[in-house]
Amino acid sequence: MDLLLSNLAHGFGVALSFDNLLFALLGALIGTAIGVLPGIGPVATISLLLPITFGQPATTAIIMLAGIYYGAQYGGSTTAILLNLPGEVSSVVTTLEGYKMARNGRAGAALAISALGSFFAGSAATILVAASGPLLTEVALSFGPADYFSLMLLGLIISAVLAQGSVLKSVAMVVLGVALGLVGTDVQTGQQRFTFGIPDLSDGLNFAAIAMGVFGIGEIILNLENPEVRSVLSTKVGSLFLTKEEWKRATPAVLRGTVIGSVLGILPGGGAALASFGSYMMERKISKGRHEFGNGAIEGVAGPEAANNAAAQTSFIPLLTLGIPSNAVMALMVGALIIQGIQPGPRMVEAQPDLFWGLICSMWIGNVMLLVINLPLIGMWVKLLQVPYKYMYPAILTFCAIGVYSINNSVFDVYQTVFFSVLGYVFAKLKMEPAPLLVGFVLGPMMEEHLRRAMLLSRGDPTVFVERPISAVLLAVAALALGLMLLPGMRKKKEAAMAG
Amino acid sequence: MRINAKDLASGLLLVLFAAVGLWLNMEHTLGSARRMGPGYMPMLVFWLELGLGGIVLAASFFGGLDPLEKWTKLDFTTLLVGSGATLVAYPLLAAMPALSANWYALGIAMAIGFAVLAVSPGWRKLALVLLGMVLFGILLEQGGLFVAITAMVIVAALADPDHRPLGVAGCVVFLLALCWWVFIHELDIRVNVLPTF
Repeated sequence: MDLLLSNLAHGFGVALSFDNLLFALLGALIGTAIGVLPGIGPVATISLLLPITFGQPATTAIIMLAGIYYGAQYGGSTTAILLNLPGEVSSVVTTLEGYKMARNGRAGAALAISALGSFFAGSAATILVAASGPLLTEVALSFGPADYFSLMLLGLIISAVLAQGSVLKSVAMVVLGVALGLVGTDVQTGQQRFTFGIPDLSDGLNFAAIAMGVFGIGEIILNLENPEVRSVLSTKVGSLFLTKEEWKRATPAVLRGTVIGSVLGILPGGGAALASFGSYMMERKISKGRHEFGNGAIEGVAGPEAANNAAAQTSFIPLLTLGIPSNAVMALMVGALIIQGIQPGPRMVEAQPDLFWGLICSMWIGNVMLLVINLPLIGMWVKLLQVPYKYMYPAILTFCAIGVYSINNSVFDVYQTVFFSVLGYVFAKLKMEPAPLLVGFVLGPMMEEHLRRAMLLSRGDPTVFVERPISAVLLAVAALALGLMLLPGMRKKKEAAMAG
Repeated sequence: MRINAKDLASGLLLVLFAAVGLWLNMEHTLGSARRMGPGYMPMLVFWLELGLGGIVLAASFFGGLDPLEKWTKLDFTTLLVGSGATLVAYPLLAAMPALSANWYALGIAMAIGFAVLAVSPGWRKLALVLLGMVLFGILLEQGGLFVAITAMVIVAALADPDHRPLGVAGCVVFLLALCWWVFIHELDIRVNVLPTF
């Protein structure tokens, strides 16, 4: 306990430095803005701002990128409630009850409880990350190469199983991502693989080019093809204060949302979107106000909003303790760390105490900032919606182009981005989910390393993966997850949950 | 039989990708499970992908209707002509010594392809946005950052028919100022701002 406190004190020392405070605020502001704006999500934003963070120390860079992710959870709820327009996937369910509340004249209360609920959940989840990080790290240090390989396999399979759409195609996308990760120099022999003799590919495909192409520019083209109609704000925000009755109903929902969000955030493949769906389903079944669902039940706003913010924080746990990204945003964080020269993994807590504890403390500080940014300034954020998409997309495009060029000062990387934009467009048209691809791409090279080491140690005997207890359990869980999703009954349930 | 055309196309794409991967992998030594060569992991991955692609393909025949969007004749023609032009132009341009540096040949070949694609209304948005980006690549080193951004934004703005000349001009000026401040003043990335001859 004393150790935890002294670590947290150290973390606050790092997080409260001027630069880190500034970048946490910047991340929170950008996150709120893109959360409010439909048509650009955290994955696209983080990938196009990645190059900008390279000049900063690793801790500052990750603090800002993390701020964007959880800031987007706050911002996404604003448009969901006021305009029935989810700014993010994770706030889709908030539109269901939140917009109804706004129609009933309780928009202010809905906004207030979603911000306060998010803040509570964010703070609780931050403590969870701080407490569980060192514990999990100790467990992870006893992992051998075989266990690591199985753990990554589990991460990949669950990220595919929980992705939207067909499980089979998502698994195929993970494998496709691993395949793209093979391009470049083989670490063991130095041989060039799949580089077509192009020297620019000897370090592998450019991670930022894939992320920007598929999530940034591919999205622009799709948005241009299907322009959405934005309604002009007609709802009044009204009083931000909750009535006693509302407090009584919202508090247990926030608590339940925090728990379910924290758990679903840690799961590989989990994250904010899944957490808000999960919490909504739960509130609709068990909360006291369940008969009011569909007419503006406050539980339907409080629970999911708490859950998505809790999950945004706890999804850092597998990344920081095991080095395993649980979703596309975390895959981007791995990319950012690797470019900064830090190999994510269980040794990170000890080797990079500034990064680990600084990030945790800055998350809490960021949540305080977001509360201030969001509640009093809500009118300003809503005004942002009046910026038409036709002015937004040239800016996104420009930042992508300069950003990807500046990583290696290479025009070839710009053309790689163009290539992956086309690929991303094709994926979207064929309903192939791109998020698992990114996770596969990041984990692929690490998996190859661990596979090689495990097989070398076992003298080429593949039974090592089932003989080691940790590895066997992880593989069993992976098989179970895959098996369950292939059953028609479970698949229907997932589809229902995804459809809200 | 209710064919899911999207899954059918996905399956074909995956199988094709895996087959090409396996074919390219023939030049790498496999090694043994104990001492894996550079070709071992690719072999596992591409066989797995081939199998998954095959299953997606097979399942698509019973997947329920999910048709692809209708393609017009013009869509087909421009796609064929455009990708053909890129593939023919690249080796020709790459052979020219003046264009051998800085990936000019690749950029110009891609620009030709996207320009052809933009003829068809079905591809126009995709083609113009990406043509803008390719032009950025071609112009950046010689033309400098400002010329490259201006060209990219103007071409990409054509993708949205709602854009008016004045709005685009405002957009260009705003982005030039913003990018100068962020990338040159603050981050100091190594790139020419103004044209060099």
